[in-house]
Parts: sequence; C-alpha cells; structure tokens
Amino acid sequence: MSQYRLTRSFHFSAGHRLASAALSDEENARLYGQCFRPHGHNYTVEVTLTGTLDPVTGMAGDLGELDATVAGVLLDRVDHYDLSSAVPALDGVITTGENLARTFWAWLAAALPPGRLVRVAVVETANNTFEYCG
Amino acid sequence: MTPGPVYVTRKFTFSAAHRYWQPAWSAEANTRAFGSLTVTHGHNYTLEVTLGGAVDERTGMVMDLAELKRLVGEVVISRFDHADLNADAAFAQGRIPTTENLVRACWDLLVPKLGERLYRLRLWEDPTFYVEFLGP
Repeated sequence: MSQYRLTRSFHFSAGHRLASAALSDEENARLYGQCFRPHGHNYTVEVTLTGTLDPVTGMAGDLGELDATVAGVLLDRVDHYDLSSAVPALDGVITTGENLARTFWAWLAAALPPGRLVRVAVVETANNTFEYCG
Repeated sequence: MTPGPVYVTRKFTFSAAHRYWQPAWSAEANTRAFGSLTVTHGHNYTLEVTLGGAVDERTGMVMDLAELKRLVGEVVISRFDHADLNADAAFAQGRIPTTENLVRACWDLLVPKLGERLYRLRLWEDPTFYVEFLGP
C-alpha cells in the first residue's frame, strides 16, 4: 500500500534557559553563553505521521484526532510555562532543541498508534530547527 | 563531479474549492465524520515538486525549470486553479478531494510528463498542514 506522510504544525510559547546541573554557574555561562540567561521562544513543533489511504474517507490520518492528542500530551504541558523549572516531565532535561525533540517524540509516540509517528521537528527560531525520527 | 542524484524543488500555487462528502454515506454520517469540512470552502494550496536526477554536464541542470514550470502549469495548475475540485473527473465515484487524494492526483498527472525524475510531491493545504507522496 502506498504511504502518505502528513505533517502538521503546532505552536507554543515557553521560557527556558540552558544549564547543566553538573556544571558551575561559571562553566554554564561559558558553555551556553546567552542561552544560560532565562529567556523564551515562540516554538513551532512539526509532527509527521505516516499512513495508508482509507479509500472511503480519502484520508491517511485524522487531523482532528492528531490535534487533540498533541494538545493533550504536549501543548497543554508546555505552553506558557518555564520549561526549565515548571514542567515536571522535563525535570533533569537540559531543554536544548535536541532534547525537546527527543522528549516530545517520547510523549507523542506513547499516545499515538504504534508505527505512525515518523518525525518530530522543533523549530526554536526561524534559524534553528531540530529533527528527531526515532 | 560526483555522480549522485541532485534534488531540485520548485513551488507552485493554486486556489481551489472543495468539500468532504462521501456519497455512499448518509448526510448524518458525513457530518459526523467530516464536520464543517462538508461545507464547500477553499484553500490556497502550495505544491512543491521535487525532481531527482543526474546533473546534465552540458547544462549544469537536472531539468530546465522553465520547462518544469510549463509542464506543471499545463497539467496541474490550469486544471485545478480556481476550480471546484469536487466537480473534477479526478474526484468522481466517491473519491473525496482530500489533501492525500489531491497530491495523488497531481502525481498521476505529472508522472507521464516527468517519469522517474519525479521524486516527491509536497502539497500544502495551508501553512499548518502538508502531505507528501513519493510514489506508489
């Protein structure tokens, strides 16, 4: 069966700072530079599903269901929170784009039917995108 | 020069009307499944056509993009731009003009013109949603 890849974009805004608990403030400031200071982003998260076509509905995935899933397991947890201090599920995670992509993948993969999720992209700014494909 | 394929993407836009309606179902079943999508509405679509192939060493190109523009305009854009997709023959017999079915219809129209150079189609329904098709 032919595969179709469906990509949907979502938005949230959140605060964060990059800091490793294993390092001193001086070391963190040196390593992460301005990202060590508390700041925030308008994030975009792109979620890509793969699926085969249902010939009756003409759809390879239900966007209404995807929207509800992403809102429930992802957006509601992070939108307008400080990712570095106020999201228990991110405790111990240095909230780089790489780690957010991997963490969001884990949250979404657990909530979606097996095998459907093929890509999560975290667009931190217009210049920086982080993709994870499992 | 290294011989591997180079991928070239050109974007096209068209605007079209559609609605989701499965004639095999009752009105209630359509409304339950598709909600507000059962009402005729429209989108500004963007179609990204990606070609893959060897670079012609004489021209330095995979394909003349002016020729690609002419072909896509002829078989896709002129057909679907400012059209009611539900009235198009590609969407007869209960084939709903979803983004999935529309990207497949574009693929089937372009393959006879582009052959194996056609690598991927990405069809954006709006800035938040696209469907990709890389062949059957």
